[in-house]
Amino acid sequence: MTILVDIDHIDKIYPLKNGGEYVALRNVDLKINQGEFVSLIGHSGCGKSTLLNIIAGFEQASIGGVVLSGKLITAPGPDRMMVFQNYSLLPWLTVRQNIALAVNKVMTDLPAEERKEIIEKHIDLVGLRAAAEKRPSQLSGGMKQRTAIARALAIRPQVLLLDEPFGALDALTRGNLQEQLMAICEEYKTTCVMVTHDVDEALLLSDRVIMLTNGPEAHIGQILNVEFTRPRKRMEVVNDPKYYVNRGEIITFLNQQKRDKRRKRKVEVEKMAVPAIAAVRLVEKSVVTLGYVPTTDAAPLIVAKEKGFFAKYGLTQVELIADSSWQTIADGLANQRLDCAQLLAGMPLAMTIGVDRRRPTPIVTAMVLARNGNAITLSKKLYDDGVRDLQGLKEAIEATPELPHSFGLVDNVSMGSLLTRYWLASGGIDPDQDISLSLMSSAEMKNQLSKGFIDGYLASEPWNSAAVKDNTGFVVATDLEIWDGHQNKVLGVRENWAQENPKTHVALIKALIEACEYCDDRRNREEIVQMLARPDYLNLPAAQLRPGFIEPFQRSQDQAPELLLRFNQYYVEQSTCPRRSEAVWILTQMARWGITPFPKNWVELLERVYSREIYGKAARELGLQDGVDDHTLVKLFDGVLFNPDDPLSYLDSVTIHREICIEEIAIDEPVLKRTSRSLKTAA
Amino acid sequence: MTTAPARPASPTAEKAIEIFQSLIPPVICSSATLLLWQLLCSGADSKMPGPIKVVSQTVGTITGGFSETGIWMQLLNSLTRVGIGYVAAAILGIAIGVTIGVNKFLRDGFDPLIQILRTVPPLAWLPISTILFLQTPKPAENAGIFLIFITAIWPIIINTAVGVQQIPKDYTNVAKVLKLSGKDFLLSILIPSTVPYIFTGLRIGIGLAWLAIVAAEMLSTGAGGIGAYIWNEYTSMLDDSISKIILAVFSVGLVGLVLDRIVGWLGSLVVAE
Repeated sequence: MTILVDIDHIDKIYPLKNGGEYVALRNVDLKINQGEFVSLIGHSGCGKSTLLNIIAGFEQASIGGVVLSGKLITAPGPDRMMVFQNYSLLPWLTVRQNIALAVNKVMTDLPAEERKEIIEKHIDLVGLRAAAEKRPSQLSGGMKQRTAIARALAIRPQVLLLDEPFGALDALTRGNLQEQLMAICEEYKTTCVMVTHDVDEALLLSDRVIMLTNGPEAHIGQILNVEFTRPRKRMEVVNDPKYYVNRGEIITFLNQQKRDKRRKRKVEVEKMAVPAIAAVRLVEKSVVTLGYVPTTDAAPLIVAKEKGFFAKYGLTQVELIADSSWQTIADGLANQRLDCAQLLAGMPLAMTIGVDRRRPTPIVTAMVLARNGNAITLSKKLYDDGVRDLQGLKEAIEATPELPHSFGLVDNVSMGSLLTRYWLASGGIDPDQDISLSLMSSAEMKNQLSKGFIDGYLASEPWNSAAVKDNTGFVVATDLEIWDGHQNKVLGVRENWAQENPKTHVALIKALIEACEYCDDRRNREEIVQMLARPDYLNLPAAQLRPGFIEPFQRSQDQAPELLLRFNQYYVEQSTCPRRSEAVWILTQMARWGITPFPKNWVELLERVYSREIYGKAARELGLQDGVDDHTLVKLFDGVLFNPDDPLSYLDSVTIHREICIEEIAIDEPVLKRTSRSLKTAA
Repeated sequence: MTTAPARPASPTAEKAIEIFQSLIPPVICSSATLLLWQLLCSGADSKMPGPIKVVSQTVGTITGGFSETGIWMQLLNSLTRVGIGYVAAAILGIAIGVTIGVNKFLRDGFDPLIQILRTVPPLAWLPISTILFLQTPKPAENAGIFLIFITAIWPIIINTAVGVQQIPKDYTNVAKVLKLSGKDFLLSILIPSTVPYIFTGLRIGIGLAWLAIVAAEMLSTGAGGIGAYIWNEYTSMLDDSISKIILAVFSVGLVGLVLDRIVGWLGSLVVAE
């Protein structure tokens, strides 16, 4: 399949009268293949028509652009013929003349004979032979739109653009026209982009349905692949069980967006009520309490404070508060002891949903602080038994069913533990039934391992290399091998704090992005090690901090140390950008292992928790690229492709899992009214 | 013999009945007016002739109206003048209207001027136009034509310009997508979609022109035309003068109506429904 239309990261910004600006579209990135039928759907004001107009060339993108078969679109042209909602026929011309005007003015290189043939052929194509001599005022709405379609198709456009083409027609005519259009498009392999409000229309006609979120800063919220075989028949499509699943997805998306619209309006109203004294200041708050757990992943926070990045952005009094456990951090955020904190990757979502009967605390995460940095260590005993990899581990466990097998994890919602479970399950080991998982602090794991209480653990450094050094264990896999570049620690703030202190939030992220850049420069690493080792921070000997961070990483006594440049990744490859595709993966894994229910309104949840608006603002102010594509497939070590736009199908496909619940997560309502649906029961 | 109401009439007969019925109210009301007029003017000392007297006194004028100074020739004289001035106003008015309709700078630039000039009463132009054409072979004739022109052009310009601005976005979008050239756009989109506005302007223009010509001819000397005819009759004040004036006034009204209808009819031919 060749890409015909490449909508390349476009922003559409309108200047406002008061000197501000309205961002209608933000970072819309979409590739449309030759012959594909794509629908754009969303609530009014979501910018779908703006997007279509940009493709048509009626409007220009403020940033980015649309490329049609290698050429940047700068003006309207007949290669992108538009079918307008109100038909746009010229009332003084007959049906034939309307079509002829287009054909004669566009296909000027053809002889008159041939042009005439084309005109007549397209009159027949839409079945308007009898009405060819009639003027638009003598035609019904359906006939007018058929004329418009014939006019558009006659000039052989590369892309047919349809702006709610059937919106003004009655149901019966609409149905007939949809089928006619579908037949014509299938016959001529026409590439189409259609804006619509109608979910059924989108499903019947499209190969892909692009769902746009509400403006401002509208972007692609979800992409649905519609996989009914072509040629399609309405009744066959409607009777397909997939139809209702797909329909439900779109309706759920639209409902989430409706709710989001209401919430945003409410926040706006509340903001208006507060006098805007802080508006002139650089930041609303200069005192910020920032919680963290002392590990090497905390490096950006410490560097930002020590190297003056916080101060540079007006945050003169950032108080770094070290907490001993993630639970303390979570409680600190919930009870407002902390304004913001370094969190485990899964925590923002888990806290917003509410795990372990805790009250949900809506959290916003707008930045990733650290990626990678974990490894799975197995005991020396397993090594001696010949275990070298996952397969070996599975065999070893199967060989000794009478023995208890146990793994140590720091927390259920850390990326490390989700990856460990994933890793085990990929090897056919059920992480809850074939072995037992127990929660403990990283420092304790090594002891437990050496005493033989556990068979392995996942931990960050120095806890892996320490076991290797003591020859009590060996590293079977680093997380680089499981999922290179996954998010590990993120910055989380309470949602209401984010709403009250938007400037402080952006300043904080700008400072931390620069700190991350500093951390990823290997020339600074020794200095950072010295900084981290200080008693007021990690309070560890510097030598313990170096493996992986600076020094080559040793997997076992028998192997030479290996330099892993990305073992601690802070900045490169847009490391700091909070990717929603990763967040969807986290949601599916937490649901898979029964940690949280899978939110039916997952798009809404991600829109709120994973704030790309704030990250984008900070990144743009720093002159960095403000986003990444959230709709590409994620591939992990086992080769399984994860489609971030279709998590439900993914959950359907996993074999080892706990009972998976799919629930509507009502974030703002104090009494959780959860309509639960069980996807499947434990295998 | 009466026609049975139940009998279905043929379409032509039905139409004839319809026309006949539509004629009843105007005939009754006009007759009543004439009757009232006759009654009011039937006194022996009445200066004003009644309708019967008017008709009897003007039979000669009507039949002999085709001589050089006759009423019909004078009417034709006026019509010719209006024709020339009006056609010139139409051509130039549409051209200017399209130009300023398309160009925002010119539109904004000329708008105040046009707004001022269009409210100037036609007769206020008379001295200027007389002086302007004093040196030409037929000064009164040309001044009259110019007066018609300057009176009729404003509504044509304004309506055309508005029409151009009011071209629905749908049509310009079609033009943009099809990448129509300037000429194609003018002929295929701009003119057809502006035509209703142009004809509104033309209709207002012809009304004003006809209003102006009578007054102008009355005031300017040696121009002839129906206005001069009325004025001559007024100054000579013979026995039948008032009757002739009444006949002339009625003819002016009738011609004005016919002109308005002709332009309206032309418009309906061109404008798509």
